[in-house]
Amino acid sequence: MTIEINPGTKVVLWGAAASGKTTLLKTLAGLIRPSSGHVRWGHHDPAALTSSVRRELQSNFGMVFQSDALFDSMSVLENVLLPLRKRRVPEDEARARALEAIERVGLTDAMLKRPEALSGGMKKRCGVARAIVSRPSVLLADDPFAGLDPATEKSIAELLLEVSRGRTLIAALPDPVDALPADRLVHLTQGELT
Amino acid sequence: MQLLRLGGAIGLVLARTVLHLPKLDRRELGRSLFLFGYKSMPLAVGTGALIGSTVVLQAGVYANKFGTRQYTGWAAGYALVWEFGPLLLGLMLAARIGARNAAELALLSVNGQIEGLRGISLDPFRILVVPRVLASAISVTALSTVTFLVAIAWEGISAYFTLSLPLRVFFNSFSELLGVGDLAGGILKSLAFGTAIALVSTAVGLRATGGARGVGQAAASAVVMSCGSIFALDFLLTPVLMRVFGT
Amino acid sequence: MSELLRVSGATLVLFARTLRSIRREGLSFRQTLVQAYALGASSALLVGMGMTFFGVVVTSIAYAQARKYVGNVTILGPAYFELIVREFAPMMTALLAASRSAAATSAELGAMSVNEQIEALELSAADPIAELVAPRLVASVLSMPALSVIGIATASISAALSVTYLFHADGWSFVDPRFIERGDVLCSFVKSVLCGAFIPLIASVRGFAARGGAASVGDAVTLGVVGACMGCLVIDFLVAATFLVIGL
Repeated sequence: MTIEINPGTKVVLWGAAASGKTTLLKTLAGLIRPSSGHVRWGHHDPAALTSSVRRELQSNFGMVFQSDALFDSMSVLENVLLPLRKRRVPEDEARARALEAIERVGLTDAMLKRPEALSGGMKKRCGVARAIVSRPSVLLADDPFAGLDPATEKSIAELLLEVSRGRTLIAALPDPVDALPADRLVHLTQGELT
Repeated sequence: MQLLRLGGAIGLVLARTVLHLPKLDRRELGRSLFLFGYKSMPLAVGTGALIGSTVVLQAGVYANKFGTRQYTGWAAGYALVWEFGPLLLGLMLAARIGARNAAELALLSVNGQIEGLRGISLDPFRILVVPRVLASAISVTALSTVTFLVAIAWEGISAYFTLSLPLRVFFNSFSELLGVGDLAGGILKSLAFGTAIALVSTAVGLRATGGARGVGQAAASAVVMSCGSIFALDFLLTPVLMRVFGT
Repeated sequence: MSELLRVSGATLVLFARTLRSIRREGLSFRQTLVQAYALGASSALLVGMGMTFFGVVVTSIAYAQARKYVGNVTILGPAYFELIVREFAPMMTALLAASRSAAATSAELGAMSVNEQIEALELSAADPIAELVAPRLVASVLSMPALSVIGIATASISAALSVTYLFHADGWSFVDPRFIERGDVLCSFVKSVLCGAFIPLIASVRGFAARGGAASVGDAVTLGVVGACMGCLVIDFLVAATFLVIGL
């Protein structure tokens, strides 16, 4: 079985818990080495690259993690700045880009707060800001609506659609939702694609 | 201040354990014995073997170095096994049992399952705490005996191979140096260590808050505090036991 | 058994990767200091207190033995003092530091791993090994011998004091440095450096491997601490054997 994802499409990957959605997303981003089969980024195989080249190409991916994966010791702003600082973007430019991303997700008022002081929806927004600040061409979202109430879910879905304009979006969900219309629906059951 | 509060919590756990002893949940006791005792067996055997061989190596150094004082070296070697066995095993088991116990209890309390038990009118102390404290005390005592026996046997074997000391000579000189009183002292010490590990890790585990981080921190501080209390107990008990069992 | 091989393999691989990442990314001086402080300062008190108690215990055993067979406790001094320097102090220090720092490291990295923060670091173009493991490794290798010296010093002083005041013999001849040779010091040093390197590595291996929920963080701590303690015992034995063979 093969899944090929063309640039610019919106893909919803859905399946029950533990069907392998998270694993597939992380494998696509080169975070996990596939135990069998291959991932191709264009014509590169991430498993075969040296770690510095892989890290270079990995900047094409932004990921919104299921558990948010924000750093509690840093403010929202610092969390969003992190990917830029690690890529040695000049501080002034990094700051401008981070502020822009934070504004885009609507967290400007909360940007000096620490993640633990944020609501679930706001944490998700912060995660989205961190994922897009490095201007990736592919945005991955792992169960972005988990634990959110319907109203927040809707607003996060709108946000994801808005920020993924001009990008590939691959979202893993337990069920397809109306709020996030997809160009392509992929169903994953027990590790099988259908 | 923190220490004082923890001390209070430990006292509370101890008191409630004693009070609940008659209504012990046997199935849980069996489970804990299996988990703490049986599962730590490889650790105890490994520790014993390593202590035994290291002691012989050191004794070899003395034999080379002090010549006529060889006897002194051996004397030190025996005491080593003797004092070292319970202490070292206590530290290892503080890591093994203490961390595991604290992590399990911390997990239950951060998930609110302890409150849940109370909600269905089951006493968490009877089910979770008493069997563990008892199992830990029994396991550490039994395991330290195992470690001791393995260490002695291993010491004899390595002495035979490295220093070509006949086994009979080794065990003869050994029984001269160690009396029943020494053995009883060591067993009592292990009993105290085992109880301390269980009490400390239970008190720490039940107080845990805050998700994955909280569980990790509870396990980590349980290990450290158990180690600290083992050293302190060793310090307090050795003179007392020597007076009681000493010759 | 295969588990044992797998874990030791993973530890070696992590060691190699850490060295490579230090060469490539450099070492964060600040992070290393922070880690050295966390490890050294928090363990120093534990080691100092533990070894002070231990000094008293050791001398009371020596005293009991002396009363039984030799007569004067100071005759046993050289053997015991050498044991303290060569064996007890590096060993106990390593074990105490192992429980202290292995527990902290595997707890912290385990929680980060479960919260997907390690992967978030990777996607932020950071090298988790350079960020998290390298400072811990360097800090631990540097501070373990220092902790070991603290252990030797406190144990010796408390031994001398307890011989003098508890057993009314000449305490300072019990801990007579004339009987300590270069080999003893070297053996002690090698032990503490190797344990210092091993402890953060095994704890990181176990921490990174944590997957799932909070339960796996608890497991990571247990496995990390037990692995660190066991590893230190094995290192102790191997170094002792090597030094015996080469005759130092």
